[in-house]
Amino acid sequence: MPIKAYPTAWARHDAVRAAAARWLKQELITPAQRTTIDAAHPVDYYRPNIFLRIGLFIFTCIGAMAVSGTVAMITDFDSPAAVAVVYAIGALVVLELAIKNSRHYHSGLDNAALYTALLAVIGLILYLYFESDYRRQPEDLFFGQTFGGTLLLLVILVVLAAATLRYADRLVAACAYFAYLALAVNLLLYLPPGRLLLPFGVMLASGAAYILQDKARLRDDFFYYERVLNVIKLLALLTFYLGGNYLIVREGNAALLNLPVSTQIPFAPVFYLFTVAVPLAYIYFGLRQANRMMLLVGLAVVCFSIYTYRFYRSLLPPEIAAVIAGVFLIGLAAWALHHLRTPRHGLTAVAEDDEPHFNLESLIVAQTAHAPEHQAPGFEFGGGSSGGGGANGQF
Amino acid sequence: MSHQRILADLEARTLLPPAQAQAIAGFEQNRPFSIHYELRALLYLGITLLAGGLGVLVYQNIDHIGHGVVVGFIALVVAACFWYAARHRQPFTWGEAPKASLLPDYALLLGCLTFLVLEGYLQYQYNIFGDRYGLVTMLPAALFLWLAYLFDHRGVLSMGLTALGTWVGVNVAPLSAFGDESFLRYGLGEAALGLGVVLMAAGLLSEYLNLKRHFAFTYLSLGSNVALLAATAILFGDNAAHLPSGLMVPLIFILSGFLFWYARRTQSYLFLLLGVIYSYIVLTYLLIQLVADNSGAWEFLIMFYFPLSAIGAVLLFVNIRKILRIHAD
Repeated sequence: MPIKAYPTAWARHDAVRAAAARWLKQELITPAQRTTIDAAHPVDYYRPNIFLRIGLFIFTCIGAMAVSGTVAMITDFDSPAAVAVVYAIGALVVLELAIKNSRHYHSGLDNAALYTALLAVIGLILYLYFESDYRRQPEDLFFGQTFGGTLLLLVILVVLAAATLRYADRLVAACAYFAYLALAVNLLLYLPPGRLLLPFGVMLASGAAYILQDKARLRDDFFYYERVLNVIKLLALLTFYLGGNYLIVREGNAALLNLPVSTQIPFAPVFYLFTVAVPLAYIYFGLRQANRMMLLVGLAVVCFSIYTYRFYRSLLPPEIAAVIAGVFLIGLAAWALHHLRTPRHGLTAVAEDDEPHFNLESLIVAQTAHAPEHQAPGFEFGGGSSGGGGANGQF
Repeated sequence: MSHQRILADLEARTLLPPAQAQAIAGFEQNRPFSIHYELRALLYLGITLLAGGLGVLVYQNIDHIGHGVVVGFIALVVAACFWYAARHRQPFTWGEAPKASLLPDYALLLGCLTFLVLEGYLQYQYNIFGDRYGLVTMLPAALFLWLAYLFDHRGVLSMGLTALGTWVGVNVAPLSAFGDESFLRYGLGEAALGLGVVLMAAGLLSEYLNLKRHFAFTYLSLGSNVALLAATAILFGDNAAHLPSGLMVPLIFILSGFLFWYARRTQSYLFLLLGVIYSYIVLTYLLIQLVADNSGAWEFLIMFYFPLSAIGAVLLFVNIRKILRIHAD
């Protein structure tokens, strides 16, 4: 059985068609070329309009609840584990058949089947864990540092990571990422100075995840996992910052020690530095490396850093601070919008759609005379049960 | 990064000549990074902070400034917005007016919002409308609806229809009714139902008479939501409403049937989803009412009705193109 549940061509065709649409807009290719490229990269999966996806998701969930209810009734409600096993197997079979026979691709139905199957599996694991020993408490999972708790987190991580690798679903990927962080925290707390090292551990784990997703982008199956990698990238950037944020570290430390009021933390200057430097670094490298997600996260976490500062010290009354910040931001944005009308330092203030078009006309005229017509043998154009990708603007 | 891969692939499959692929790669390489929307977001954030800060400052110093100045300033903003929008207005047409630019549209929207602020301020500070709450809500409804048609603006139309809903509600139930939870007793449910049906009719009419037919979607989506929600609330309510709740069952089915018909005519999936969900709720409610005291029937419901109906709904959605005979795009 291949690792990936969906044919990789689906994601690749989507990416090529999106690129072709953009290039046509920027007049880098001719309409005829775009038509040929689109014909060679057809939409041959089923993903309907967003409203139909919502409907499919809701009714698949209703069906899932009814099926598990039926199984529970047949077993007289005395074996939750059996219900979970039967349901998970059934849902996975439906999921695989929907992909294989009806070509569902994140259509709402396969999302619902995957989520409910994973809920059943993880519910089963948790049930077995807590049922097998009555002394086990939910809060011991992270801070208890028992072998069983660590193993449980590891098993959950493996389940979620395997599901992400196979189905490339963003929500499952996000859950897998949090399971990974939870496991990292749990392992670190085994060490005697674990509490002191916790922020650095979170930052280290986030940084490792960021580097890994960056490396994964170079792989051949990048298009299949593109959306998943974007989710991991976003979460890694956020948790790296939050791991070093003074407010989070100080209040988290107080929560871990059950202090009523948070007190000054060890290495405080280091965290002052992180709180200030990480957002600025995000913005700087976001602009330098044309990394939009890093830039946006940087802008968002600057606000949180300001909030962190004002949480402990008040420099100015809020309304005065708002007026000053407003004047500063308006001035900065107006200056940058004016200054970057012509591109400088690789940056431009012109919207992507309005950019001056690169004139390829002469080149295209020279080439289209013998631009090859694409003909795939036995290919049925427009066949299948394609839902049109919901891109028709109808609703 | 990803475009290199796409270009190499297209070149290998001879869908792009090599020279062109190379030129595109060069273009992508040297393309400047556009921070247009980020800068615009910063600008809006700055304006919001400045306006908020100034607002608080004015509020704190109201004794020195006086209400007259504040009212005058807000009125000035309203007038400026409307003036700017009017200056860029396209000539009136019963069709869809061509859009020249976005800014006048936003100015009109901002003008309408500040008009509400002005009205609220006047009422709160000077109580100029007294207890005539109907008038307070009628004024923006009439103004916004007129402006919506004059300026061909669907956002203002939604605001006007919302104001109209408030006016109906205020006229039907005294304001004190909103305090306790039995608002159905005052006939609000029926009023909402009536309003929803009227809005749906208005939408259909605007389409048939070809008067601003692009407004039909706003009328129908707002109207059908209000009507179906109200009918469902009356159905589930404590029978204190004036209309018998049994009447609601055929009514919801009729409204849902209308939505199916309309969805098929306009190939709109939103109305289809609304129709399916509301009729499913009513059907399930009816069945549960029927078997309420019979535990064997409950098992039947759980084992057969829910799985089969869910499968039916899924099949309906998957085969919707064939069932509604909606053409491929």
